[in-house]
Amino acid sequence: MNESADPIATRLTLLTALADAVRCGLIVLDGEKRIILWNSWMVHTSSIPKDSAVGKPLERLFPDLTGRVRSAIDSALESGYPSVLSQSLNKSPFPLYAKKGANDAGYRIKQAIEVVPMDSDELPRHCLIQIADVTAAVAREDLLRIQAVELRQHTYLDGLTGIANRRRLDEYLESELRRSKRSGFPLSLIMIDIDHFKTYNDTYGHQAGDRCMVQVASTFSSVLHRPADLVARYGGEEFAIVLPDTDIHGAMTIAETMRKAVAALGIENARAKTTGIVTVSLGVATAEGWAREPADLIAAADGALYTAKHEGRNRICVHDPAHACGIVSPTHSLEPPTQ
Amino acid sequence: MDNKKNKKVLIVDDSRVSRMMIHGFIQEQRPEWAVREAAGGVEALAMVSDELPDIITLDMNMPGLSGLDTAQKIKERFPAICIALLTANVQEGTRNRAEALGLHFMEKPITAEVIRRVIGLVERS
Amino acid sequence: MELTDIQQDALLEIFNIGAGHAAATLSRMVNEEVMLSVPTVQFLKLAQAAELLGTTRRISAVAQSFNGPFKLEAILIFSENETLEVVRLMIGEKIPLHELTDLEQDALIEIGNIILNSCIGTLSELFATEFTSSLPAFRLGTSEEVLGAGCEPDDHVVMLLHVDFGLERHNIRGHVVFLLDVSSLERLKERVNHFVYRAMGTDSQGAAH
Repeated sequence: MNESADPIATRLTLLTALADAVRCGLIVLDGEKRIILWNSWMVHTSSIPKDSAVGKPLERLFPDLTGRVRSAIDSALESGYPSVLSQSLNKSPFPLYAKKGANDAGYRIKQAIEVVPMDSDELPRHCLIQIADVTAAVAREDLLRIQAVELRQHTYLDGLTGIANRRRLDEYLESELRRSKRSGFPLSLIMIDIDHFKTYNDTYGHQAGDRCMVQVASTFSSVLHRPADLVARYGGEEFAIVLPDTDIHGAMTIAETMRKAVAALGIENARAKTTGIVTVSLGVATAEGWAREPADLIAAADGALYTAKHEGRNRICVHDPAHACGIVSPTHSLEPPTQ
Repeated sequence: MDNKKNKKVLIVDDSRVSRMMIHGFIQEQRPEWAVREAAGGVEALAMVSDELPDIITLDMNMPGLSGLDTAQKIKERFPAICIALLTANVQEGTRNRAEALGLHFMEKPITAEVIRRVIGLVERS
Repeated sequence: MELTDIQQDALLEIFNIGAGHAAATLSRMVNEEVMLSVPTVQFLKLAQAAELLGTTRRISAVAQSFNGPFKLEAILIFSENETLEVVRLMIGEKIPLHELTDLEQDALIEIGNIILNSCIGTLSELFATEFTSSLPAFRLGTSEEVLGAGCEPDDHVVMLLHVDFGLERHNIRGHVVFLLDVSSLERLKERVNHFVYRAMGTDSQGAAH
């Protein structure tokens, strides 16, 4: 049986095997920044075999190394200070790639790097560069971030119709009213209620009622084109439309367009008196100085809506601060008064 | 030779130790030069009007009127004057702005070598 | 514990140079102008420093231990709001503190590492002393927790630097705290004296004027 091999050689073999077994990149540089150790992880990710790396200056293998990496190495070798290079501030400094066949083969792996001095009694100072693959961690965090954003969006969206919910409406109306006061441009609000909706539910069931609601909501959305205009579900079968920078005539026009569009859907509502189809009533109000708070504007539009209902439904009514509410039936003209 | 004539230096820095160091290095290398000190931008402007120096060293990072602003004001009135900005914070943007104003840029910490270069600036001109 | 005016001036100038170098490094990384300056240096007892940093709010910190002819613990501190601002400015996103992920924490650790290495590096260069350093570590908690985490509180003195961090027209104030035991503080003062003497010495040896 052979004498056991020289214990130092054994230890060295063991340590080399250790370096190769570790699941991150290990590079050791001497005082002249030449590579002394290059472990298997480095071989696999860089496709640079050991004998092409060991003994060469790091610079020669990676001439495009960033200033940050270079100064971290200098700092370790000259001052003896460790440096961390986070992946958020240093995007993949080394050209290292995932294994072939991986989903993102061809893209550099994301790297978290530590550059630390190695001091010992017998040897001059060396430098250890440790590289961890954080691609998976970054992907997980990106996913979490996206989900958090989506979650936040859902708190502003109505579950059924997908349009803005009441919370969003309240916030939006408040900020738009403030803006309207600052800018001097008018802010209009339309409150809409589906006519005989309870009757519809009773006749055709709640699922049909839901479907109807979704259709009506999407009809409102299709009428609006400006990004600042908002369709929101106010509650139950009531909707609110916020129209920034829109005067009373513009708002009336949009309201009438919406009324006609819903009627044009021709959704049957057999027990609805007069029309036999699903229609809506609309109340329009424009804030022009008299509205101090969102509640004032809502009350005005609501009042107009109530009058529209009261006067026979399937019509628009406009809040006019100067007179009693003016009623506009489907047959009346909507031309703005000539200047 | 004209260039070896005694020069007048104005040192502007809010740090007294800094001023001492610059003053010291200049005295070592050019003992016959006249050196005055200002602790800030406003004081510097007053001293420049009082007696025009050949070269001004300006610390970038000062409270009140910054080094760059002080340099700009001085250059407006005395476009030919030689100004060296001293800073540890060497950035592309600042360096470019300084050079566009015709200012020289020197790195801190202040060493004999840095002062040698500062001296070179005024002797070469 | 008190330093003379001129000693204080010297320390401030040294830290300003360190801060300047750190700013230059950071600005190259984010391609924005970064201004870092140290307007004041104070010496306090641990309890006083904790109070100054605010006992009720949470702070985030990056800590490193330096060892050489004297020992000190260097800690870069931001309040909760300031942390978010710094992360947002450096990484480009506004992220709530409780959502700060490991990888964003790493970015904060790197920023702290750059600033602390730079400050101690300059000290080391100008004092002609050598230090070794631990890897930076992240701490989150009240000021007492953050300051007290690494040392025996009783015999430690705090050297507190206010650091103004400016990026993209935003200005954030953070703090760098150096924790030293009393004998380390004495040795630091000796070095400062030596440094000042050298600066004055060349002056006093120069030609009379």
